[in-house]
Amino acid sequence: MEAYLLNLGVLIAIYAILAITLNFIMGYAGIFSLAHAVFFGIGAYVAAVVSMHVSASIFVTMPAAMLAAAVLSLALALPALRVRGEYFVAASLGLQMFAVTVFSEWKSFTGGLGGLVGIPAVKIFGQEVYRPASFFPIALAVLAAVVAITQILVRSSFGRSLTAIRDSESAAEGFGKNVPLIKTISVVISAALAATAGVLYAGYMSFINVESFTLDNSVLIMAMVIIGGTGTSWGPVVGAALLLLLPGLLSYLSFLPQADIGAIQQIIYGLGMAALMIFRPGGLVRRGSPQRKARPKAAPTRAKRGAVQ
Amino acid sequence: MSGAPEQEVLLEICGLSKNFGGVVAVSDVTMDLRAGIVTTLVGPNGAGKTTLFNLITGHLGRTAGTVRWLGRDIGGMKPYRVARLGIGRTFQDLRLFGGMSVEENILTVMEPGALPFSGPRMAQKRARAAEVMERTGLAGKRHERAADLAYAERKFLSLARIMAAGARLWLLDEPASGLDPNSYEIFLRLLREEVAAGVTVCIIEHNLDIVVGISDRIAFLDRGRLLADGDPKSVLEDAALSAIYFGDRT
Ligand SMILES: Nc1ncnc2c1ncn2[C@@H]1O[C@H](COP(=O)(O)OP(=O)(O)OP(=O)(O)O)[C@@H](O)[C@H]1O
Ligand SMILES: [Mg+2]
Repeated sequence: MEAYLLNLGVLIAIYAILAITLNFIMGYAGIFSLAHAVFFGIGAYVAAVVSMHVSASIFVTMPAAMLAAAVLSLALALPALRVRGEYFVAASLGLQMFAVTVFSEWKSFTGGLGGLVGIPAVKIFGQEVYRPASFFPIALAVLAAVVAITQILVRSSFGRSLTAIRDSESAAEGFGKNVPLIKTISVVISAALAATAGVLYAGYMSFINVESFTLDNSVLIMAMVIIGGTGTSWGPVVGAALLLLLPGLLSYLSFLPQADIGAIQQIIYGLGMAALMIFRPGGLVRRGSPQRKARPKAAPTRAKRGAVQ
Repeated sequence: MSGAPEQEVLLEICGLSKNFGGVVAVSDVTMDLRAGIVTTLVGPNGAGKTTLFNLITGHLGRTAGTVRWLGRDIGGMKPYRVARLGIGRTFQDLRLFGGMSVEENILTVMEPGALPFSGPRMAQKRARAAEVMERTGLAGKRHERAADLAYAERKFLSLARIMAAGARLWLLDEPASGLDPNSYEIFLRLLREEVAAGVTVCIIEHNLDIVVGISDRIAFLDRGRLLADGDPKSVLEDAALSAIYFGDRT
């Protein structure tokens, strides 16, 4: 039981990192990416290969994975962020499909469909971190670091620039903001931080393959953000925890026919999403920024023609 | 404030044109904006006033012509570069940063840099923001979301942003439309103060009574063409222009 909970805790921490880093671009910059699992994957594969052939020290695998994800994210960010928002979604979808092909075909690096097995455990200061018992604190520490970094950024001038761009790109430009550059930086930061989740995942599972880095996973991460609350500090963590706990909770309800649990889960997701859209369209967690009830606006009609008399 | 000819030319527009497919929005406009002079751009609906602003700021690409800032060609420059030269603008539809608080809207225009933690020191920015909020009557709304403000407050926030941005030339697109008389007085006072402090203003405005009160000069645009450009009295008394201005409205 304890092992089960620890395992769940590690997975929640990993997915919370993914949801937080996706929320960083989605909630603050208004950039919708369907390729987040790609950077998760890049982080995992790079960490796996580095730890198998070079060093399993987290101080080696982590920077390597983050750097690889950051550089490769430029391939998406540079061309796609110069055009309008919808094209970015399309481009990210394209990258996701392409990456799945690479993950499953590039046998010498990713092990092909079979994946990589026997990934060594993560080492910290030469100490092997045993799975899962001592791994949970490590996952939590990385999650805390990611939370801290994104929170500091979001509250800085950079965060205000992102939100300004999300709310009005042309006004942001009109006030001197280099919009493509700021968006590119945000995507690179998001990808690099998402790769830390991949490092944890590879070190924890000791086995990875393409299954964990598909479009389904990108959509799942996006669902965590939306359900938890886009653009909020803690929404993504809540969303990740909820979506990962749900299957386990359902299996406890013994009156449910266990054979149909998958279908029931889908129905509950669907109903839950519909309820959310109706009762909490902004997600479960409310925005922390000033939130007053919108009051009726005074005569928003453009009465300007009346002025010419 | 009368336009002595030796005033420094800030912005020089020459033969500027913009076509949208078959529509000629701005057609061969030549004019300049001089330091300290308040120029009002008037003209009927669809005359091309907003388009002219967009061509200056780089929000739209020109079809032909040149734009110079302090003698330097800025035609085809990206909007953020134009802004950094000291050309600020407001938008006819405001384009506030709706999800941000009033204070954040003002802070962010002081932080154009892309790197985290760029711009002046936080204490300095907050002090400047406080001053601007005080003058625009938004001090009590500091933490309110821009999208939740009342109409007049939104117009003042749009002004507060350009005040905080510290631009040398202000292009104001109908900043006073729809304001109640009281707010209007406050707006005029602010504008006068800023002009006295050295800001050069070009303003699009429909209310001709007010236009006379604040302008040193009026430029009259119709169907993309600059029909008149001179001191307010002579332009407003021109019978042919009045006919164009009021003609299609009754
Ligand atoms: N992005 C655009 N695409 C196509 N046509 C445009 C665009 N922007 C403006 N136009 C057209 O260009 C002409 C000039 O428009 P503009 O908005 O500059 O007028 P305006 O003088 O600001 O009018 P108003 O007083 O209504 O604000 C109009 O015919 C308009 O329909
Ligand atoms: Mg206009």
